[in-house]
Amino acid sequence: MQKEPESCRVNLLRPKGEQMKGEVTIMLASLLGWGVVTFGFQLLLALVNVYDKGSWLTEFNFFGLPFHFWFTAQMLPLWFIIICALFNLGIDRLSERQSRRRDGFYD
Amino acid sequence: MTDTGQKLVPMLFVFGVLLLFVIAGLLYKTRESSEYGVSGRYTGRIGGGAAIASNWMSAASFLGIAGLIYLYGYSALAYVIGWTGGYVLLLVLLAGQLRRFGKYTAPDFIGERYESNAARLISAAISIAITLIYSIAQFKGIGILFAWLIGIDYSSGVILGACILMGYIVISGSLGVARSQKLQYSVLIVTFILPLMFLAKRLGYFWIMPQFGYGTAIADLSREFNINMASPFVHSGPFHWTALCFTLMLGTAGLPHVLSRFYTVSNVRDARWSVVWGLFFIALIYWSAPAYAVFGRLIEARGGINLTPEAARAMADNVVVRTALLGGLPQWLVGMLAAGAVSAAFFNVAGLLMTGAASISYDIYYRLVNPRASEGRRMKLAKGATLLLAALVLLGSLKPPGLIAEIAAVAFALAGNTIFPAFLLGIWWSGTTRMGVICGMLTGVLVTFAQPLLGGVLPLVNTLFPLTASALCGAPLVLAIMIVVSRFSEPPSMEIRRFLADEVHGNLQ
Repeated sequence: MQKEPESCRVNLLRPKGEQMKGEVTIMLASLLGWGVVTFGFQLLLALVNVYDKGSWLTEFNFFGLPFHFWFTAQMLPLWFIIICALFNLGIDRLSERQSRRRDGFYD
Repeated sequence: MTDTGQKLVPMLFVFGVLLLFVIAGLLYKTRESSEYGVSGRYTGRIGGGAAIASNWMSAASFLGIAGLIYLYGYSALAYVIGWTGGYVLLLVLLAGQLRRFGKYTAPDFIGERYESNAARLISAAISIAITLIYSIAQFKGIGILFAWLIGIDYSSGVILGACILMGYIVISGSLGVARSQKLQYSVLIVTFILPLMFLAKRLGYFWIMPQFGYGTAIADLSREFNINMASPFVHSGPFHWTALCFTLMLGTAGLPHVLSRFYTVSNVRDARWSVVWGLFFIALIYWSAPAYAVFGRLIEARGGINLTPEAARAMADNVVVRTALLGGLPQWLVGMLAAGAVSAAFFNVAGLLMTGAASISYDIYYRLVNPRASEGRRMKLAKGATLLLAALVLLGSLKPPGLIAEIAAVAFALAGNTIFPAFLLGIWWSGTTRMGVICGMLTGVLVTFAQPLLGGVLPLVNTLFPLTASALCGAPLVLAIMIVVSRFSEPPSMEIRRFLADEVHGNLQ
């Protein structure tokens, strides 16, 4: 293991400085929302499918589509767009705060 | 296809649309060509989004996804989710930082970040392999369409289509045709959705938004004919579904020709927002694609057409155009659909071949072989490389090894196992070394092709690293190898670490 000067160290898991900490928090929150909803729903569906054929997940109609099909085919892509937009809003706010602090103003 | 012989009206549409792009491009003519294959400047977030979307749209999106859903129902939604969810990874983990790093192609980034010609060479070779595999999938789409248009067999169709494509690339190149990606995207979305609305109306479903209208068709299929397209995990279990979906996501975030799109927007903030628009434009197509598959099944069931599984698989990539034909759409609408599909495949291949040729002329020839080569010489080499790559792709596509989307998925798996980990660690861990990335990328290549190479000897490989879905287990393995090897090898130079800390991560703007 080598010694690295502290000021040049970049590590996603050990962010330093207020700005990078804020950035990594937003990133991890976005990834959590992305992973849990996408793969969590499939896991739920698989479990329900094993223990309870014909549950509300697959029987319930939503916009004419079976709920699970609607959720995966239409809600998830929409959810990805929402996550991306929220991520951008978060980073925008963070960078505005950062440039205010640096320059004393923000235009 | 259901009929043979020449289709005059659709043919006019296909060539008309291609001509339209040439004329529009000549009118624009604000080309900033470079050997990177990134041409044109786009202002604004929506324009950047349209560029991302039109660059992304391919025969796999236009034809392939519907074909897979037609065959496998819910299981095939892994493709829809993989190819949209990957953009979240791309935006959250890489987009802003890559833009600030300022390298235009994957091999260029890897070569500079890891300060290694060997790493540059390996990533250039991987980029070329991705280009070849992905283009084979596109050529299959082109071949199917031209075979149907002219009324000839598939092999002649693919040869003819390739000749027309190369002619198109050469003509647009020599005339200096600009790629108007907003126009391209508009054409793609209209040619995909308008025929679908007509189809829904003809079949008596909610046609204003066929994206919702097809829900009733799913219910009718299961009630009248006992065909349940929505039942989950019938054709592949939850593990395989997840592995495939995850692989396509990582691949999306690591695909070289997608990464280079971030340089066409003027600043980092607009680059980030253009991803949101791009994803929305892509989702518009993916929300609609299942409708073609479901309507296709329904029309067949009502018409008493009962295909064997083999026959269904053989025609699945045609399902979009075939459904339009069986649904009795007027010739001009079918022509429109075919024109959209041809242009999606054409522009995708053009972009891919340019990325692949740039890897040869810039990353391999200029950076490694002859650093004193003039720009003219490099451009010449890039043109020759484009032709060579196209010829190789043509050979590979004469006997296509699978369905369009499946072939494309292998290219995504390769990108997800090699380029994505190299980018992720390169940006987010300053301790990643050149030995680490080289060992990691080579492992990634091995993992991607583990099933055909080792599957016969070690049955476990077939479960863990299926050819189209190898990155769920593969990418973490590659990341682990990169980290371990980096710990025990010579650390990166002070300059690159300082650059990462100050330039890439120092400022969010």
